[in-house]
Amino acid sequence: MDLRTLTLAGLLALVSACTTEQPAPPAGDTPGDAPPAEGTEAAAPLGDLDPAELSKSSEKRYALVPSPVETQGALESAGIDTKLATLIPQRDMDFDDEDIDDIAVRTGVVIADMLLTVKTSSNEQLLTHLDHIKVGMKGLDGGSDIDRTLDDIIERVKGEAVSRAELLKELDEISGAIIPELEFNGNERVVPLIQAGSWLQGSNLVARATKAAGKPSAADGILKQPKVVDYFIEYVTKGEGKDKAPAAVTEKLESSLRTLKELAESPDSLDDGKLDTVIQVTEDVLALL
Amino acid sequence: MKVFSSLFLALALTSPAHADEAKAETCLRTKVWDGYADGWAIRTMTSTTLEAGKTKSYLVTLYPGKEYFIQTCGAPGIAELDVLLYDTEGKVVQRGTSAGREPTLTLSSDKMASYYVVLHARAMAADTKSAGVALAVTYR
Repeated sequence: MDLRTLTLAGLLALVSACTTEQPAPPAGDTPGDAPPAEGTEAAAPLGDLDPAELSKSSEKRYALVPSPVETQGALESAGIDTKLATLIPQRDMDFDDEDIDDIAVRTGVVIADMLLTVKTSSNEQLLTHLDHIKVGMKGLDGGSDIDRTLDDIIERVKGEAVSRAELLKELDEISGAIIPELEFNGNERVVPLIQAGSWLQGSNLVARATKAAGKPSAADGILKQPKVVDYFIEYVTKGEGKDKAPAAVTEKLESSLRTLKELAESPDSLDDGKLDTVIQVTEDVLALL
Repeated sequence: MKVFSSLFLALALTSPAHADEAKAETCLRTKVWDGYADGWAIRTMTSTTLEAGKTKSYLVTLYPGKEYFIQTCGAPGIAELDVLLYDTEGKVVQRGTSAGREPTLTLSSDKMASYYVVLHARAMAADTKSAGVALAVTYR
């Protein structure tokens, strides 16, 4: 099925999903109040569930990892108004590196940088980020649809045909909804590693911001996330990575994540020393990109 | 947003089940985009197919001091969709508003915490064994 056919089918689906004024909708086709008596018998409402089963069966790639923009908001809620975008250093990343893990982590870092700066960056900076993400998506076998989507955005940015507020929405959606759905040629490590790159960059910036503000414990609610770290470790240590010599980035990423996990699980609040550790172990990975 | 619609649909329409998910996702995307006007931003949006009585769970971490709005849409084949929040011990923390096939949850937390969001296809429409459902986690 080509994209045109898919789009046509999609429009039909859209009409079916959104139309509410059809004279005689079939049973169950009225939003919100379809009569269960004409369908299957309603099951009893759920009660408590087995936590082990919940943990085993739960999806983690969609809702678990906060977005960089959300992290900025959490920082402000914790009383620190530093704009993370102002702390992003100039990095000379190697976009010719063809290791899939490296490309994924690097692309995640660029996505974080772009989301944090989209409202303040120049057109030239924004286009550079978009171009690097496009290169990353191509290297990761993201597919022709995401490629076309990025091309469309690039053209609109070049033509100044999209506001930055509108663009932030679109980029939020690419980062939080579209990329997690991509298959990346069946490589299930790619999405978690992209997310790890974004999260690592965000953690580095939050640690630096809270330390500079003299409020290290404000980072507790943002950086101490053992479930998030566990999710990244799970993918860094499984799959293809077991069968090949570990790439420098992945190897460093694993050791950094294990240090972050120790800090996240500690009952003690973060202090300047622990924030220095966060900064160091995240920088160790970011410097390799 | 034509390109985005096409991309989503291209991702979603590779099988009849996925086409049904596209209906749910189309319904949900409108709500999510409208939410930006009220300060909501998207963390994620996804869809799946549920059989009658089955569940799908998602691990989610909430930041302290932020407000979260979890929205859902079921395709026309679903009659009663439930959304619930569980703690990591498997206890029900909150049940979504009962709204047929579009229940929601509004959450806030004073500390960083992880939860499970569970979708439950409690009842299907006539002659329907499975249907697409979509979930979005938004924050402000």
